[in-house]
Amino acid sequence: MAETSTQLKSDAIFDQLKLHLSTDAGKELIKKIGLVYQINIAPKKIGFNEKVYVVDLKKGETKEGPYEGGKPDATFSFTDGDFVKIATGKMNPQIAFMRGAMKIKGSISAAQKFTPDIFPKPSKM
Amino acid sequence: MAMRDLVTGAPSCGEPSSSSNPLGALANALIGSSSKTQVNLRGGPMVWAWDFHVGGLKFETPCQRKQGERLKEIPTSVTTSSNGNFLAGVEEPFVSLPGSEFEHPLQPNIQGSQFLQGFRSADQNRLADAWDEIQRPQLPFAHGSQNMTNIPLEHARLQPDLNGPPQQVLSSFLHSFVNSGHGGVPFRPASLPLLGLSEGDKQCIRDRSTIMARHFFADKTEDFINGQVNALLSSLEIDNHVRARGPVPGRYPELEEYWNESLAMKPVPHVADGWINEFAQNRVGHADPNAWAQSFEQQHGSNGWASEFEHEQSQLGMIGQMRGANIPNLAAMEQTRMLAHTLAQNSDPKFQNSKFLQFVSKMSRGEISIEENQFKPATISSGDWAAEYEQQHNGGQSWADQFAHEEARSPFTLMFVRFIYCFQLSRGPQGWVNEFSAERAQHGSVNDEWVSEFSKLNVNDDWADEFGRQVAEGAFGETSADGWAEAYDEYMNEQAALKQQSDASRGVYVFSDLNPYVGHPNPLKEGQELFRKGLLSEAVLALEAEVLKNPENAEGWRLLGIAHAENDDDQQAIAAMMRAQEADPANLEVLLSLGVSHTNELEQQAALKYLYSWLRHHPKYGSIAPQEQPISFYHADVAGLFTDAAKMAPEDADVHIVLGVLYNLSREYDKAIESFKTALELKPRDYSLWNKLGATQANSVQSSDAILAYQQALDIKPNYVRAWANMGISYANQGMYEDSIRYYVRALAMNPKADNAWQYLRISLSCASRNDMLEACDSRNIDVLQKEFPL
Repeated sequence: MAETSTQLKSDAIFDQLKLHLSTDAGKELIKKIGLVYQINIAPKKIGFNEKVYVVDLKKGETKEGPYEGGKPDATFSFTDGDFVKIATGKMNPQIAFMRGAMKIKGSISAAQKFTPDIFPKPSKM
Repeated sequence: MAMRDLVTGAPSCGEPSSSSNPLGALANALIGSSSKTQVNLRGGPMVWAWDFHVGGLKFETPCQRKQGERLKEIPTSVTTSSNGNFLAGVEEPFVSLPGSEFEHPLQPNIQGSQFLQGFRSADQNRLADAWDEIQRPQLPFAHGSQNMTNIPLEHARLQPDLNGPPQQVLSSFLHSFVNSGHGGVPFRPASLPLLGLSEGDKQCIRDRSTIMARHFFADKTEDFINGQVNALLSSLEIDNHVRARGPVPGRYPELEEYWNESLAMKPVPHVADGWINEFAQNRVGHADPNAWAQSFEQQHGSNGWASEFEHEQSQLGMIGQMRGANIPNLAAMEQTRMLAHTLAQNSDPKFQNSKFLQFVSKMSRGEISIEENQFKPATISSGDWAAEYEQQHNGGQSWADQFAHEEARSPFTLMFVRFIYCFQLSRGPQGWVNEFSAERAQHGSVNDEWVSEFSKLNVNDDWADEFGRQVAEGAFGETSADGWAEAYDEYMNEQAALKQQSDASRGVYVFSDLNPYVGHPNPLKEGQELFRKGLLSEAVLALEAEVLKNPENAEGWRLLGIAHAENDDDQQAIAAMMRAQEADPANLEVLLSLGVSHTNELEQQAALKYLYSWLRHHPKYGSIAPQEQPISFYHADVAGLFTDAAKMAPEDADVHIVLGVLYNLSREYDKAIESFKTALELKPRDYSLWNKLGATQANSVQSSDAILAYQQALDIKPNYVRAWANMGISYANQGMYEDSIRYYVRALAMNPKADNAWQYLRISLSCASRNDMLEACDSRNIDVLQKEFPL
């Protein structure tokens, strides 16, 4: 049960991003954005039982756990479901923000570069 | 008629302050908020907080001008009375004869016990003191002035001046009631000279004070509020036993309930419904709410109460309002406010003319309301009401602003309301900014409290600072304002699909409107035929007709589910398959399909459950599965079982397919690809299998291989929408956005309901710098897109 309860839908997205960053398209992102984002994913409610991911678009890495290289350019907090919606373009980040579905800490200009096209789209079977 | 003068404020209008007509204004205030509570309760405190801002700008018309307007609107006393009757509801034994209102005696027993009850539940000494005061409600005024000498200076003003003409007495008295909120001192009842209030006026004051007290004393206990109101009413010889008399008029208990809920600061998502129902009931009960609204407006001036309220608010500060509101949402709102502030500084005419602002102004006119996060045209009655008001008053706009607040029910609405005011105020003579800073200067201490309350909410101060700094540096330029306006447009689109999505995401199948196949003699056969021809969207309609006709037809539901999956709509596929499974719990195809769809939706537990069921219900492998169904599933266990099954029957393509799905679930893509390839050797004509292989390859960043696999699928089934959409995804993930657009458009031409593809298309258009086509995308104009992006 413990194992399953920590399973997040977002894990799949981050896994794919990790692979994606090794491709040419992924390397374009590093050139284009070049920022470090920390993303906190909560299973149900923002701020509770958050799983922390760092998307380092300077080095092209995705890692679990808080950023160790100083302060990330921007930190976002989402619930699992809302993050998936944003990463798959179902929800606009600005709308998520207006709704309180996304919390932002850090630089606004960095936050504005956080768009759904960073994430590879999952293909469907 | 004295009341007429009272309400118009004619005699006292010469006073310089904004509250120069306190009686009319307060009576208005009291009345205004009752009509309000019928429409809105949730979020009430927040609404008031905003009134404060509005008031600062909107309600400064000189008293003299207003007075002229009001005089025209004063109706006869008969109107006033019948108006009161409406308010009271049918239970009120109303006597309409002129002058008979004076015969309405106070009923101290009932009132007293009710009051006492209120105080007993509180253990504050000052309440007990207040009770002692109220025990002697009929004491002559002289007693009150004796007390006055013992009250600290700041409380002295709470004692009204009870000399002079009736209207002055009442106004002073009502003021002291309002002022009593400042020091948290219980309001002291006093014996007043005969004021000659009509029954309708009493009704108004009673209803209004009950509600307004909750705003004035938002930080006080319910008992305190009841005490305050009772003290006021007993002094005015207004009996307050509406509740004690038989059937309750409904409004009050509801009010209490919601108020308590809002005090508890829990987000309560559906309270608004209660009020809507309530309102609807009232409408039925009283036939014509417009009449009520009208007579109220006739009886009382329009803006006085608001300015009065603004005046009081400025003294009370915002803390009381904040406390009542939904705190978690406030955190988001606070962030939003800062953004809105920035947007308001944007003077770009394009932005100022954007749909977003049009929306904002529409909403401020009460033409749009938001219920449960959905925009709706205002209801007929409220729309009429707003229109009527605008006809009657020049100040209609400001009232309509008010109305927009009242309509604001969901927290999201409240955020939008903040936007409205930021925009409006930025265009007004005094910026909202000034307003806010002035307010800050005035109420430093209150705001400090307010701010610290926010910091507790985890609103990030860093962020606020950072934001301020970046705004100053201009980091948030014009383009970003465009972005926001765009976000709004998108939001509107999102809204259109929201209802449907939310139903589907709950596993409820959403039927199409206007289905031509309803009434078809054999829709199942028709559906199968259409499906075979690859006309998926048509097949969906025919199959819907079938399951409407035969809701227990598992095959109808199953094929419908397959059609949706191939049409790239997993939500609907899942909903249909669940119905199929209900009708036929052991159908292997259904179970596999559910497993695949849940995998696509990244829902691991659900996917494992169905794949496990597949094994259990399989005639050959059922014996492998443990007899007891586990409560939760571990991927490794389920995968282990299927590996055993594959060893048992290596020639069974289905087992390899399920294994492939399972490895997708655990993101072991190499193993998944291997399983699918094995299955394809056994079943080379299975187009959905080719697509599964392609999708797996794409997810493991082998996009060029994926495209080859999709091509195989499309060779076998040219109308396979999912494969076309997947093609688009593969190109997009390789950064080939122009190509991806063509495939998305192709998929959408075949199924315009494929929401995912629309969303992905939008992203690709942005990435390909084809913003010129975004509008066509947002309006789902497939013809334009097909012409622009032929494949």
